[in-house]
Amino acid sequence: MPKHYRPTGKKKEGNAARYMTRSQALKHLQVNLNLFRRLCIVKGIFPREPKKKIKGNHHTYYHVKDIAFLMHEPLLEKFREIKTYQKKVKKAKAKKNEELARLLLTRQPTYKLDRLIRERYPTFIDALRDLDDCLTMVHLFAVLPASDRENLEVKRVHNCRRLTHEWQAYISRSHALRKVFVSVKGIYYQAEIEGQKITWLTPHAIQQVFTNDVDFGVLLTFLEFYETLLAFINFKLYHSLNVKYPPILDSRLEALAADLYALSRYIDASSRGMAVEPKVDASFSSQSNDREESELRLAQLQHQLPSSEPGALMHLVADNNKEVEEDEETRVCKSLFKDLKFFLSREVPRESLQLVITAFGGMVSWEGEGAPFKEDDESITHHIIDKPSAGHLYLSRVYVQPQWIYDCVNARIILPTEKYLVGRIPPPHLSPFVDNEAEGYVPDYAETIKRLQAAARNEVLPLPGVGKEDLEDPQNLLYAGVMSRAEEAEAAKNKKKMAAQEKQYHEELKMEINGSKDVVAPVLAEGEGEESVPDAMQIAQEDADMPKVLMSRKKRKLYDAMKISQSRKRSGVEIIEQRKKRLNDTQPSS
Amino acid sequence: MGKRSKTSRKGKKAWRANISSEDIEDFFEKTTRDALSGGNLSAAPSEDLFHVDKSHDLPVKRKIEKHRERVLRVDSILKKNPFVQLVPSSKPKLKKSKKTIVIEDKAPKQVQKSVGDDSVMADLWGDDSKGEHESNPRKIFKNPSIISAVEIEHPGCSYNPTTESHQDMLAEAVAQEMQKVYKTELGPAPVPLTIEGDTLSEDERYFLDVDNFSEGEDNENVENEVSEAGIKLKENPFVQLKPSSNTNLKKIEDKTPRQAQKSVGDDSVMVDLLGDDIKEDLKYFLEVGNVGEGEDNKDVKIEVSEAGNNVSRKTKRVTRVELNKRCRQKALRKKETKEKAKEKILNEIDSLPNILEEIAKEDEDKQNKHLRRVIAKQEVLKIRPPRLGKYKFEAPPVQVLLTEEMTGSLRKLKACCTLARDRFKSLEKRGILVPSKQIRRLVFYGNDS
Repeated sequence: MPKHYRPTGKKKEGNAARYMTRSQALKHLQVNLNLFRRLCIVKGIFPREPKKKIKGNHHTYYHVKDIAFLMHEPLLEKFREIKTYQKKVKKAKAKKNEELARLLLTRQPTYKLDRLIRERYPTFIDALRDLDDCLTMVHLFAVLPASDRENLEVKRVHNCRRLTHEWQAYISRSHALRKVFVSVKGIYYQAEIEGQKITWLTPHAIQQVFTNDVDFGVLLTFLEFYETLLAFINFKLYHSLNVKYPPILDSRLEALAADLYALSRYIDASSRGMAVEPKVDASFSSQSNDREESELRLAQLQHQLPSSEPGALMHLVADNNKEVEEDEETRVCKSLFKDLKFFLSREVPRESLQLVITAFGGMVSWEGEGAPFKEDDESITHHIIDKPSAGHLYLSRVYVQPQWIYDCVNARIILPTEKYLVGRIPPPHLSPFVDNEAEGYVPDYAETIKRLQAAARNEVLPLPGVGKEDLEDPQNLLYAGVMSRAEEAEAAKNKKKMAAQEKQYHEELKMEINGSKDVVAPVLAEGEGEESVPDAMQIAQEDADMPKVLMSRKKRKLYDAMKISQSRKRSGVEIIEQRKKRLNDTQPSS
Repeated sequence: MGKRSKTSRKGKKAWRANISSEDIEDFFEKTTRDALSGGNLSAAPSEDLFHVDKSHDLPVKRKIEKHRERVLRVDSILKKNPFVQLVPSSKPKLKKSKKTIVIEDKAPKQVQKSVGDDSVMADLWGDDSKGEHESNPRKIFKNPSIISAVEIEHPGCSYNPTTESHQDMLAEAVAQEMQKVYKTELGPAPVPLTIEGDTLSEDERYFLDVDNFSEGEDNENVENEVSEAGIKLKENPFVQLKPSSNTNLKKIEDKTPRQAQKSVGDDSVMVDLLGDDIKEDLKYFLEVGNVGEGEDNKDVKIEVSEAGNNVSRKTKRVTRVELNKRCRQKALRKKETKEKAKEKILNEIDSLPNILEEIAKEDEDKQNKHLRRVIAKQEVLKIRPPRLGKYKFEAPPVQVLLTEEMTGSLRKLKACCTLARDRFKSLEKRGILVPSKQIRRLVFYGNDS
């Protein structure tokens, strides 16, 4: 008897019993393919690959238990109900009974996915863990054009846009952003919320297209689930900030497409309202009937905020007690762009930069109505511009390309702006998601950034010793001005090391001379010893009296190099000092 | 309702005609109806209209209890004796009753939940502890894919990449493209949809049909014949193949044993036809030939002739000498084989460590092979999903800038505008969707350009 033969009436075993094909599942559930797909997506049920494919390689298999799980889903019944209802509508339309059709359409049965979200993500952390896909999808649909053909309504696009803005506002408010990478595909962001790393991709500010190899029906079903999920997550996150969730926005700002700014103001206003004036909140909760009135009041409150102040900074003092629990990284991120004021030109990606700058504690404004401060504001320190040349230049600010912001954020230090100035080709934009050590190859620019980071870290530490000598290669002189103190520290260290080496060498020589008079080349050794002793002394004393002729060639060259680098550095410092002087001169005058 | 037009009420008749007495008539009608039906319902107190039925539903209950309380005769007899404990003949259906209770418990819960759903927005994870304690009826199956939902691109795909990483990425993209090209070039040519040639006229087609039919029949006949012949051959191979087998054997005699074996291989058709017995015989003869050379040839000849004669039932009488000889030879052979076996065993005992080593090596190889296979599988899963449907997953092209497109300016960036496809492919790659060959017709909306 062959192995696969099974007498009739006997139970199936193995893969035959455990898996069923898709068409079998459809028959079992008594639904059509479309409905089945939707149900699977919403319930999070995926096809599987059995070890042995009983019906052949060309079928899709589902686990029997998965299908049984779907069978008990109340949503299935609801979907059926909707289907029959649709039939009614169709019938009414076919009978030219427009009024009935309209009436029926207004009373359509609807369904909710809340329970499913709770089922699929029992805890909040679970939901956060699975947020990558959700965020990317919602961000994508926020920029897609509404289309009749693909059944994408304007309402949904707007909803997506609203959700993304809410999410971004939270990220910037909580300073949770960690990494940004601008690629050809789009901009990758990584944030850290409750210890979970959440990565998402947003498209560039260009028109996204519908391609014909994509089934948008499927994507829209995913989107439906993700919209609900993101709304609940936003709700939870906003409540963690003590902010009411469906935010009420300043309609003026909303009309000007400055939603993100409006949202941040809303958050500030409401959390401030809680802290200073809890009346607003009370009126909200107690009298739901005059809600409109309180909305109005809230909007007024938002207007009262001084417009030049961004929300993020205002709370540094007020919310000190609340934000004690912040970790080290958040603190670093929060204070990166502290006291810096940015102005965005028309041609730079506003939404992205706004998110990044505010997330790292900076103040930002842009060209257009409703902006927090105008372009001619004196306190602006950086003007982000992406044109070959700027028209009117304010001397009080630096004109940099947008990449500077991203690179600064990834490096967690304020990088020197020289390379990013207007009209120059900026240095390569490196991916922060790559571990250079693990990769084995470190790009040049990554190395320079690393050095700068080290320098920035040293800045805070007390200096080990003060010396003007500097053995750094001249390449570093470019940012010498900015990092002068740190570099001095490094140079001092180098000098110390060299002195120690020479001392050691000197001692060795002494020992040699003392120990054995009959050396193979006593003349040479003696000569060198005589030379080296004054050399070391000379460096230690910083006296250039000793004639160069007496030095060995190597030493002499080293000495020359030192001299050159010193002079260069001095000139660099002078340049920067001059610039500073000029700045100081111009500022009070204008 | 507008005012009623006033009509003249001059005179008694006109007055009577123009004043409606509808309400009065209605009232009379109503009162008579009430009187007939037994009083006005709206005026009656509710106690009169309804009453709360506090009596138990006796008949139903009794029926059930009657059924339950029925005592078997056996039990009743046993009951009389107080020292005997009853063993219930059937277990009461406890399980079922429990279940009904559980359902009753659950029902209000569900109602509460649905009430919660109706509210506009609520904190789903308000009581996170509940999520852990609440025993899930079924653990949600998490997709086992190792591929992350948002894969971060290679640094070479940066909008302003370093030259090295950009070159890397370009090379990869080129390799991807070339692979496609090679596949089409080296693969089999597609079957042409049309073939050159004249169309057939109807008459010719009839001829062709007839030909096909007859050919088919012929073929069948031939096959039948062949199969019949085969059966015959198997049944008595000697009858038909006598001459050929004889010649074959003679050939073998001439050759050295090794060559002979080769020839056997060459003329395999023949030998196969001879059947198994003959093959064995042949081997036997060859062995014999190996052992004793010169004189045995004769023997072989005799044997062969015997084999031949066997068929023709003409046997030669075996002499005593011959018999003795055979006996001796048999004994000798036996002895030799025994010795050989002994030697073999001895050898094997000697080479025991070698054998052990071999076995260990084999095991190791097997282990390695298994490990390699597992790792390879994992590696494959990292780049593409398991085969879930009819079509394989095809990776989307790499999004990388060409060298001339690298401007270093975010404004001039030629960015990717097909992110929807990227998402879709990602879903396919993670095994959430079944890869499909999308053949969607493009819809053209007239000629705009």
